Amino acid sequence: MPSTRKNTQSMSRNMFKTMSIRAVFTRAVFKKAVSILILLPAIAIAQEQAPQLPQDLVWQTNNQAPTFADPNAKTGGTFRTFTLSFPLTLRTVGPNSNSSFRGYILGNQFGLVGMHPETEDIIPELATHWAYDKDGKTIYYKLDPQARWSDGKPITADDYLFTIEFMRSKHIVAPWYNNHYTKMIKNVVKYDEHTIAIEGATIKPKKDLHYFYGLNPTPKHFYKLDKDFVDNYNWKIVPNTGPYQISKIKKGKLVEFKRKKDWWAKDKRYFKNRYNVDKVRVKVIRDYNVAFKHFEKGEIDTFGLILPTYWHGKATGKLYDNGYIHRAWFYNETPQSSSGMYLNQDDELLKDINVRIGLAHAINVQKTITTVLRNDYERLNSGYIGYGEYTNKNIKAREFDLQKADEYLTKSGWDKRGDDGIRVKSGKRLSLRISYSRKEHNDRLVVIKEEAKKAGIELNLQLFDPASGYKNVLEKKHQIAWMGWSTGFRPAFWEHYHSDNAHKPQTNNITNSDNKDLDAMIMQYRVEVDEQKRIQLAHKIQQFVHDEASYIPTYSVPYTREGYWRWMQLPKHLGTKTSSSLFDIFSSSTGGLFWIDAELKKDTLKAKKKGKKLTPVLIKDTRYKSGAVKVKKDKLEKNKAAAK
Amino acid sequence: MSISRPNLLSPLAKQKFKRFKQIRRGYWSAIFFLALLFLSCFAELMINNRALIVKYDGEFYFPTYGAVYTGKDFGLDYEYEVNYRQLKQKFEQDITANWVVMPLVPYSEYENDLIEGEYPPYPPSWASQHYLGTDTAGRDVLARLAYGFRIAIWFSLVLLFFNYLIGVTIGCMMGFFGGWFDLLSQRLVEIWSNIPFLYVVMILSSIIIPGFWSLIAIMVIFGWMGMTWYMRTATYKEKEREYVMASRALGASTSRIIFRHILPNSLSIIITFVPFAVAGGIGALTSLDYLGFGLPAPTPSWGELISQGTENMESWWILGSVTASLVTVLVLITFVGEAIRDAFDPKKYTIYE
Repeated sequence: MPSTRKNTQSMSRNMFKTMSIRAVFTRAVFKKAVSILILLPAIAIAQEQAPQLPQDLVWQTNNQAPTFADPNAKTGGTFRTFTLSFPLTLRTVGPNSNSSFRGYILGNQFGLVGMHPETEDIIPELATHWAYDKDGKTIYYKLDPQARWSDGKPITADDYLFTIEFMRSKHIVAPWYNNHYTKMIKNVVKYDEHTIAIEGATIKPKKDLHYFYGLNPTPKHFYKLDKDFVDNYNWKIVPNTGPYQISKIKKGKLVEFKRKKDWWAKDKRYFKNRYNVDKVRVKVIRDYNVAFKHFEKGEIDTFGLILPTYWHGKATGKLYDNGYIHRAWFYNETPQSSSGMYLNQDDELLKDINVRIGLAHAINVQKTITTVLRNDYERLNSGYIGYGEYTNKNIKAREFDLQKADEYLTKSGWDKRGDDGIRVKSGKRLSLRISYSRKEHNDRLVVIKEEAKKAGIELNLQLFDPASGYKNVLEKKHQIAWMGWSTGFRPAFWEHYHSDNAHKPQTNNITNSDNKDLDAMIMQYRVEVDEQKRIQLAHKIQQFVHDEASYIPTYSVPYTREGYWRWMQLPKHLGTKTSSSLFDIFSSSTGGLFWIDAELKKDTLKAKKKGKKLTPVLIKDTRYKSGAVKVKKDKLEKNKAAAK
Repeated sequence: MSISRPNLLSPLAKQKFKRFKQIRRGYWSAIFFLALLFLSCFAELMINNRALIVKYDGEFYFPTYGAVYTGKDFGLDYEYEVNYRQLKQKFEQDITANWVVMPLVPYSEYENDLIEGEYPPYPPSWASQHYLGTDTAGRDVLARLAYGFRIAIWFSLVLLFFNYLIGVTIGCMMGFFGGWFDLLSQRLVEIWSNIPFLYVVMILSSIIIPGFWSLIAIMVIFGWMGMTWYMRTATYKEKEREYVMASRALGASTSRIIFRHILPNSLSIIITFVPFAVAGGIGALTSLDYLGFGLPAPTPSWGELISQGTENMESWWILGSVTASLVTVLVLITFVGEAIRDAFDPKKYTIYE
């Protein structure tokens, strides 16, 4: 039985821990919440008598995909950044290990294969070749014989077998992993030092197999698993496979990473010209505003400016106008959280499809975006944006149109208006509750409320604190829920739209969708192995959901925005399609594309001291903006619209 | 002995009122405050997006109170409520016999006056008639202030009434009956007073969505205790007086003694506390709204304006105007309170050190 996505947050963290090609999917995994399938008993790891590889395997690799690093990148320098708190441990499993810092550690643990950030094809990482079994749930990998741990030891099949032993061990005090590695991964088989097979629990499309069943190796020669594991390994620096390793720790103050001199992958096709800085210094600065001051003083090299208050307010002025600090607004294409209004179809008023469609036409999202959201956000067209081919791009959200709203509402009998201008039908007013749980969203909601009045619909705002708001929705007590689901690697339909989850509490079908045809398509989608057919099904389901009008999409933030000192250099196209940050340091998919220009640094600091004006740079890259066709890269003297 | 007349109108009370009038600062503050209170009852006539009078095709319309007029009623092409500001402009441009009289501030407390391409909050402007600018959702700050004041002051008065009703009753009973009842009630009140009010409100408002009356109920449940102590002491004191003994000797019932003798004689205590309790009520609602546990959005509220203002310091007009209003109102009430206290003080002059 698939579990529901009840505990999205903690689940996402946990997913983060486990996925072998984790680094590749950093962004996706962060938001990830997967339905975990099946409950089959674990089978002991088979390794006694040397097993034989199936004869009909077709080994694949990928050396044709385009490279995405800049060949002009220079090496050297120290990249200075910050974290809000010092980690409580360097372990990545067990108690206290779930801090934001583990991202830095796991970033340097590569997977078997990765996903190309532009084409989304599978590319080699620790494995050079892979093959699929006929059973649809087993993958074979040929390990790269050149791959080395940071202590120089080769990475072998035993390290993968050890991962299973390690993750299933009671000594690591991590029940979630114990459970996950018992139920999700059925078996790992070693054929020789550099050939393994991983058998997963259920059938999945080929590409998805890597994502769900790929493993990270664990250095068998390093660990001793016993009851003191948790204490013993708190501050041990574990051998890793990525480009950097921790070189200095000042407890409570900073952690420094140093680039490996002779990293095994430094000349590989997809890792060449990347990871250019010699050192990465992560300083602990406990307050975001203080960190920003450090950045403006030049003690930190880059700073994320996604928040409108920073981009439009704090990050403006002399430092930027004089060209010492550059700014970039980079649109990417990653799964977007399905923010919007979920209509409860079990509700007396909302069970009428004409009311739902009429309501959708009465919600003025565009006005909210162009005014209170400072034109920063994008209208979301459906709940499944940013899933590459799985997204049905033909679906457009219903626009604000009073005429159409009137048409649909009249059709369902709401054609008269009361004294207060709100529609009435047999003594009842067309008044609906919106439940939401973020005070910051008041501004957006009051605009929507006032606009809906024009269509004769009264919307009452009902603010909850997050926990009880979520409870209210899961108990299906809402009329309209204002919220967004976190995203996954692939669109998830069963938990949200299958009738198995309708009309009962504690499931994610909060629209109470209940339709036999939809059920059939969803079930087919879940077992379909042929990728093209599966994509088609995904499109059909999305269209169906749109027609059902139980969800009104609102907006998304499909970009990253960064401020960076002039000496920070980026590739010509700044980042890749799936870059969630332009200054991702370690991740194997999109990390380490930047470099530091020492000459420019000297030059910039000198100019700043003298107050000399340099060319200001404000880049807006909309290549991956949905609907964008050409590169738009403006160097502006002063972009008033963006600066103000 | 003419004990049949209530003591309220006794010469003593008259003298107190006279003395209150002599304290000019307090007296004028009271007049000003009552004027504000009175005006706020008719805020719709001064601050509103509905017109005061519309003359259209020879007929007069008074849209302020009552049903909504749609655009179609005035020859426009939409079916939702008329935008009277646009209507006024249209009538002026068309040079017809039709005209519109708008209130001084032509915006309501809920209306978002948003300009495409410009991002709220908008600064104060004489031309757009946003005399104190707008908040982060493009709503007129002056309108939000005025309606927020009306809600806060009535909230505070209703809260005061119920707090005193319960507080005075129980306090009186404690003082009058004394003995075991007093001892037990004292302990209960002590325990009840130690419940951290703010946490309780936070917990409760996460379970129920507070409205005007439910919030008052919550605050009364945890706020009536303050008055009991004073009333208890006062009752104790009065109970032992000769006139009480005398009326008892004359055969007066318990209720007659309490309502005819003790309460009127303890009135000075109650009245001196009233202004400070009003100020306290406004403060409590404002701080709850500030924290987001008060009245639900989009209710106009000073606390919400303060919270917006502190988050948008560069939009000085939000925080500036709400702080100025809050300080003004609280100072007015405090002046009144001081004057009342002085007027009721048997010693004519008090020197504060």
